[in-house]
Amino acid sequence: MQRWTSQALLLPPRASWQRADLEFEGVEHDGASFVLHVFLNNDSADETTPRIAASGYAGYLTVFAHGDCWGDVGHCDITEPVSAFDRRPPHPLVPFNATLEVSEALDALPEDTQQITVTTLAFNKAADTEGVLRFSELTLITYA
Amino acid sequence: MSVTVRPAANAGPARLNIRKNINALSPAELANLRRAIKQAMELNDKRGFEYFAGWHGVPLGWCQHHDALFLPWHRAYLYWLELALQSQVAGVTLPWWDWSTAGTIPDVYTVAQADGVENVLAAGVAIKVFGAAPKAGWPTHTSRAPGHDIEEVPGPPYAKEWAYAMQASNYTDFSQRIWTVHDTVHVWLGGTIAQVDWAAYDPLFFAHHANIDRAWRIWQTAHPGADPPANVLGQSLQTDPALTVRATLDVRQLGYEYAGAESTVAGSA
Repeated sequence: MQRWTSQALLLPPRASWQRADLEFEGVEHDGASFVLHVFLNNDSADETTPRIAASGYAGYLTVFAHGDCWGDVGHCDITEPVSAFDRRPPHPLVPFNATLEVSEALDALPEDTQQITVTTLAFNKAADTEGVLRFSELTLITYA
Repeated sequence: MSVTVRPAANAGPARLNIRKNINALSPAELANLRRAIKQAMELNDKRGFEYFAGWHGVPLGWCQHHDALFLPWHRAYLYWLELALQSQVAGVTLPWWDWSTAGTIPDVYTVAQADGVENVLAAGVAIKVFGAAPKAGWPTHTSRAPGHDIEEVPGPPYAKEWAYAMQASNYTDFSQRIWTVHDTVHVWLGGTIAQVDWAAYDPLFFAHHANIDRAWRIWQTAHPGADPPANVLGQSLQTDPALTVRATLDVRQLGYEYAGAESTVAGSA
């Protein structure tokens, strides 16, 4: 299991939003497939923590990933279009954004909560799970 | 809704093919599906099952995931494979596995034998990569380990995830929500079908993706005109031959539809 905890994210007053999403931006999917369990304001969450609202559990994301590279050297290097006329589809390994709606999980926190931390537990098939979840940024987005 | 197709020479009026729930196939339909896949697996050319399996991962790697092309690419993929299977057995269609209600893999895809011979729909069939010599580390046979490869992956049925996807009000949200549960199904299944590189060598892949395609069709019906972003509609999808995203939007233009049941009787002529 790989554990990661975010810095604090600011949470707007509850009356100002109808829906809230956590967006994991730039998720890489060139390795082994994995599942991610997400907790709010529970920095000590681990594999034994109950996945219930009282534990700050917000849900899960699963990433169907590509696995090992079987091409020649450079095959899995992400390439950019070579010109403005390049109509080939994007490289299959371009990182993507994964969204988890956390409205209900936020509602389960104390009413006066003004910021949250996000703890992720990533599991894959291999015993060594360091580096399974790799992404560039995490954003909390609320919608009025 | 009008249907524009090019009928074959001397053919009667074109008729939509119906994709059905795997559990609704008659014994004859199931036998035809197995026969079509078996025959396609025996072909070592571009009509063969292994050629199509290789589009998704090794060796061609044409699939699109986690972006706006995910649904159109896989619709095109199933369309071309289904035609190839129909070239083996006329009228055969790809069934769907409804993991939003079913708690496990359909028996049809797990029994070791069917009609006294190896069940080609089960895990364990040989992986023969089209046009490439095997490399060290490549799996030789398909495998599954539902719920065991990563025990922390929630298992089916995925009713809540399906309903959440169906609540989406625009294509981007729907696509993202349905690919999320799509990913979960793959990873829960484990084995080779949990890896993009090898997933499509397992016939169960196509029952899973027929259900994804069905989900899109159902959502489209409820949201007419809610198409992928305009900037991708003209995008060529990497298949053989290619289709544009726009060409995949209407399943009826591709000659098929999803149904819960189908019953045909003779006419008066």
